[in-house]
Amino acid sequence: MSGPPDLPPAADAGGVLFDGDKPVAQTVRLRVDRQADVLEISGYGDDMTPVHWPLAQIRRLPDIAGGPVAVVRWTEDPVARLQVPDARILAALPRATNRGAPKGRARLAGWALAAVAAVALQIGVLIPLLADRLSGFVPPEGERALGEATFGQIREALAGSGLPPLPICEGPAGIAALDTMRAALGRNGAQAPLSIFVLDHEMVNAFALPGGVVVFFRGMIDAAENPNEIAAVLAHEIGHVENRDPTRHALRSAGSIGILGLLFGDFAGGAAVLFLTERLISARYSQAAEAGADAYAYGALEQAGVSPAALGDMFERLRDRYGDTAGITAHFVSHPTLTSRITRARASARPEGSYGAIVTDEEWAALKTICD
Amino acid sequence: MPEQGLAVRFTGNRSALFWLALKTGFWTVLTLGFYRFWMKTRLRRWYWSAIRPGGHPLEYVGDPWEKLLGFFIAVVVLTFYIGIVNLVLMFVSFSVFQSSSIGYLASFAGIVPVWFYAQYRARRYVLARTRWRGVRFGLEAGAWGYAWRALVHWALTVASLGVLWPRMTFALEKYKTDRTYFGSARLHQGGRWSMLYRAALPFGSGVAALVALALWMVLIDPILPTRSLSWDEVSGATTVMMYGFVPDAWSGAARLFWLVPIFVLLVYGAIHYRFVSKRILANHKSADGIRLKSDLKGLRISMIYVLGTTIAYTILAVGIVVVVSAALGLFGTDAFPEAQPGTADPIGAVARWLSFGIIAVMYLGVFLLWGVLHHTFVTYPLMRHMALTLCLVNVAPLAGISQRARDAFAEAEGFAEALDLGAAI
Repeated sequence: MSGPPDLPPAADAGGVLFDGDKPVAQTVRLRVDRQADVLEISGYGDDMTPVHWPLAQIRRLPDIAGGPVAVVRWTEDPVARLQVPDARILAALPRATNRGAPKGRARLAGWALAAVAAVALQIGVLIPLLADRLSGFVPPEGERALGEATFGQIREALAGSGLPPLPICEGPAGIAALDTMRAALGRNGAQAPLSIFVLDHEMVNAFALPGGVVVFFRGMIDAAENPNEIAAVLAHEIGHVENRDPTRHALRSAGSIGILGLLFGDFAGGAAVLFLTERLISARYSQAAEAGADAYAYGALEQAGVSPAALGDMFERLRDRYGDTAGITAHFVSHPTLTSRITRARASARPEGSYGAIVTDEEWAALKTICD
Repeated sequence: MPEQGLAVRFTGNRSALFWLALKTGFWTVLTLGFYRFWMKTRLRRWYWSAIRPGGHPLEYVGDPWEKLLGFFIAVVVLTFYIGIVNLVLMFVSFSVFQSSSIGYLASFAGIVPVWFYAQYRARRYVLARTRWRGVRFGLEAGAWGYAWRALVHWALTVASLGVLWPRMTFALEKYKTDRTYFGSARLHQGGRWSMLYRAALPFGSGVAALVALALWMVLIDPILPTRSLSWDEVSGATTVMMYGFVPDAWSGAARLFWLVPIFVLLVYGAIHYRFVSKRILANHKSADGIRLKSDLKGLRISMIYVLGTTIAYTILAVGIVVVVSAALGLFGTDAFPEAQPGTADPIGAVARWLSFGIIAVMYLGVFLLWGVLHHTFVTYPLMRHMALTLCLVNVAPLAGISQRARDAFAEAEGFAEALDLGAAI
């Protein structure tokens, strides 16, 4: 290799060496030796035996704030440092800015995997398991409080920040119609109380909260073509209430919220909260939970003299409108097995049975205008 | 006294820091936060190398990969703790107390000791990765000891209504300093806790003035007439704030404007205490006879702090206005209401996710901008003032100090990172 000749003045540039043991600055003479491809570091007196750093193994420290000095190190010595004020010496270092590969990559990958696995295990297995066990022990008053708190959060989240919470529709005749439905479905107040609310929002959705709270969005009532479809959805949600699905879900969220906060931290904390609100509303239960709620609904509808096929009709209406998997928020719409659930609902109606409407036409008209 | 003392220099200019912070912050946003380990490392390298006792820069040798590893370790340990504990606390809170707030409170209280623990561990990591003249700093193990001491001191401070705050400042600093090493030399925190009351004088006089004003307006010369009051008269306080006039029933209401200088004094006092206590503590630190001498100015620091924060906030506000109006111009006002969770029609859903993404990017952008501005206008001048007013006295014993062994410290500052107390830099 025919490099440039020895740099005349730089061959004798001064520098400061720290030997990596004592915090004492040694003034040294620096000479680039092109023949041996080394940097010779020698003292001005006789007190120091010269050291030689191979040019290709010298690295410059990155991100040094401005100023006259550059600091270099030798890859074979983790602690010694050399301050080089002369740019020509630096120019003679061929690999000054090389970066070594990260050390311990296997270990890093192992822990990365462990972290992902820990979060997955926690959110996917441990928390649901624990939530299922514990939900059976929450007393009714506790469930009630949990439901009210969640309901408040959802109303505020849907209204947007800084606005009053989403209004509850309170048309008296409409509420009376819902009460008739509830009574017909066998929820007369003999059991744990059940409250039904309608929120003034165009979303086509309904959901249940802990403590026997069932919430309809106005969009759902607008989308229904007859009262039996609303009764069917109501029966389905009562099924969730009976099976304590919402309580289970709320406990799961409580466990997951901290973990997500841990992962995202301040950096995207706001986004994590939004995401969780979304999860609360969508309330995607397991397939088994949905099937359980459906089964409850068939029975309740049958007893009320309403065809269980109404649930299938409502599902079909939603499917035709949004497709089998579209619709991020409506939990019964999102299920890929919607078609099979429609078939099952229709099959559970007795072919020879005579079914009626759950409420009168006047009551249905009142329910349609509950938000006006 | 060039033989016995070393002045600390500070090099590096603000614009270089600005670009470094902006560049690394940009990558952090782009990688959804993963680059933050690199950003932190690079900024620390820069700051450390700018501080030059005797003209020789400090060196930060921390590695972003080890920070990432530490974060993973912390996630593995903390997910189990936080997930299960939160769930059980919520269960108990709802079952027994019928409210969620007790659960939140307990969940917060449970994390406080871990918080102090993580704080100490993070300091240990940073010191272990700091060198000067090729020699390592270090901090002895002792994070749980720090955590319980911090808890006790906080309890005492709260119980004494803040009167014992200087005692806490001193004791915790002494705990950390006495476990700090530079090479083979152990640092020592001298002095007494009562010496910090001097630093608390401005804040204390602010509190005294507030109490005096309250006494004057309530007992000595009541601002409200002593006869029984109608609601309109009592609610005058909100009237003053909202409409700027004072109800007739009030006497000498102009005295309320004393609140303004008292508030200024309290803010100044808080900043003054925070930094002047550091100065007093520094002046009582030593290692093998080498002493620190700080000449930090409380008033100057407060000016830097207040002005820097004001500038940063002003630019941030202007930036937000520009970004929001640009977004409004590009997407129309419709883009925003759609971002609310839950419009179920498919086209709305697409628009919703799109605008959700836009808002997320904007949110992160504002976060990034804030970080960059804070570095440029607050951290940088504060560091510079603290460095330039510091010097080492009697440095002859440096020759007797030798290197200390490397502190491997696999988890780096993972716990602090996961719990979001990753310090300003």
